[in-house]
Amino acid sequence: MPLLQRADWPLLIDLYFFLAGLAGGAFVIATIAHLLGGERNRSVVRVGYYLALLAVIPCPILLIVDLGVPSRFLHMLVSFKPDPAIGAATINIGPFHIKPFSPMNMGAWALLGFSALAFLAALSVFLEDAKRGRNLSALRTTVGVIGGFFGFFLAAYPGVLLGATARPLFQNGSFLGALFLAVGASTGAAAIALILSLLGQEAGGTVGRLRQIIIPVLLLQAATLALFLLRVGMSGGEGTPQSLALLLSGPYSLIFWVGAVAVGLIVPFVLQIVTRQPGLLAISAVLILVGGFLVKYVIIAAGQVVLS
Amino acid sequence: MARTVAMFTDVSLCIGCRACQVACKQWNQLEAEEPEWTGTYQNHAHFTDKSYRLVRFFEEKDDKGGLQWNLMSDVCKHCAQAGCLEACPTGAIYRTQYGTVNINQDICNGCRYCVSACPFGVVAFNHDTGRASKCTFCNDRLHNGLGPACAKACPTESIQFGFRDELAAKARKRAEELKKMGYKNAQLYGEDQNGPLGGLNAFFLLLDKPSVYGLPEKPRLPQNNVLVDSLLSIGSALLVGIGAMVAFRERGGKE
Ligand code: SF4
Ligand code: SF4
Repeated sequence: MPLLQRADWPLLIDLYFFLAGLAGGAFVIATIAHLLGGERNRSVVRVGYYLALLAVIPCPILLIVDLGVPSRFLHMLVSFKPDPAIGAATINIGPFHIKPFSPMNMGAWALLGFSALAFLAALSVFLEDAKRGRNLSALRTTVGVIGGFFGFFLAAYPGVLLGATARPLFQNGSFLGALFLAVGASTGAAAIALILSLLGQEAGGTVGRLRQIIIPVLLLQAATLALFLLRVGMSGGEGTPQSLALLLSGPYSLIFWVGAVAVGLIVPFVLQIVTRQPGLLAISAVLILVGGFLVKYVIIAAGQVVLS
Repeated sequence: MARTVAMFTDVSLCIGCRACQVACKQWNQLEAEEPEWTGTYQNHAHFTDKSYRLVRFFEEKDDKGGLQWNLMSDVCKHCAQAGCLEACPTGAIYRTQYGTVNINQDICNGCRYCVSACPFGVVAFNHDTGRASKCTFCNDRLHNGLGPACAKACPTESIQFGFRDELAAKARKRAEELKKMGYKNAQLYGEDQNGPLGGLNAFFLLLDKPSVYGLPEKPRLPQNNVLVDSLLSIGSALLVGIGAMVAFRERGGKE
């Protein structure tokens, strides 16, 4: 068994991964709703873009609190390095560095880009609401499409980041990025649906259309989760049976099976299929959010345990 | 680029005296720590931010039912393909002109990604400075023509310092000798530059298979996963995009 070191990423990081995924997912859904008939889906576009901005605002704060000193966050992007030999395929532009094989570096850039675009998208909605006449649709299309790519990136990169560590559970899974992206989409869609129903704005079939996203995305979440577990199990990597056991039958199994799978995935999925009652759909949305957080939390927690 | 240097740790010569561990602490001015009870003479259980050299004591039953003591002075491997260096988002971890791997403390922002990315559990987080720390290969000594303090202190020459090519040749010879003496499982770890991680600049001569010493049998560069994991994420993104487009498509005013 390779002797590894604890990383001790605290709950702040799980929360960041959750919010970043939700923000990215909500943004992408708002963009697609905007592209395919902005008027009819107007409420989804508005709520989606506002939500993306609101969810991404705490993200840098969480990271800075984790690092302790605010200026240190900037080191992710810029620093005056005496030595340029800092990794494969690194692009140094003045004091800035882009490291394509360091998902954490790429993620910091994506967070920066996404925040700017989420701000612009929300601003466009705000301006349109304020002075009715002006049509900012063309601007929003550009911001939405570019921001959508950033949003996908932001939702998926934490999974790729974990995959690029030496932890048996993460390193052998391959599907963590794909899973995190699906979770970002499901939680983003669920949050939009929940807000619309709380605001009483689910008119014109919007909730029905959101349901049609949530159902396949939850299936994708289940499929990528299953593929992740299978891939780890069949990899034959050192330490994988033990780390998998921690998650599936050990101390984390209760949170995993009951929280992330049963309550956080199966129950809300069934509710989406069998009912159209707003109250139950709202409960389903809440459960999707809980499940999305728990599935990330429990995988990260189990993967960080030091085996001996 | 200067010639690549290396450390060669020959576990067959180690007597577990921990002179290397102490010399490292002294030279690098690392504070004393509370001892830990690990069940053996080993202290501490893992590398810490204040212990860059760590003598490991592994106790195993031998064939005759007696106790076999496997000692190994462990250290950062200064990998030719280093997971910590590739992971570091700030560029704090860099490769020196001697081929060693170092953390620039002024740039490190304490994100701890390197801690998880090292296949050998070497990097430790220093809670006092909020930064990551590990063996520097005595960078200051190196730049002044001296070898690392641990190698200097080792009384049995279990730890040797030198140019990588010369040291590797020496190591291969020693492994052959040990095999002839009857140590059938004697093997080099990390000496082969075509092997895992492009070879380790701190390589080892072990008396048994790597897992006996808590080393991964086949260490991998974690960043090799980035491409495949990203492609699978893009696949996932495409499916989400298609799903959303189907849901929001125009349906001739029905619903
Ligand atoms: S052993 Fe670990 S800390 Fe040392 S160079 Fe290799 S990856 Fe980095
Ligand atoms: S803790 Fe410091 S050295 Fe390690 S990856 Fe983060 S910034 Fe780089």
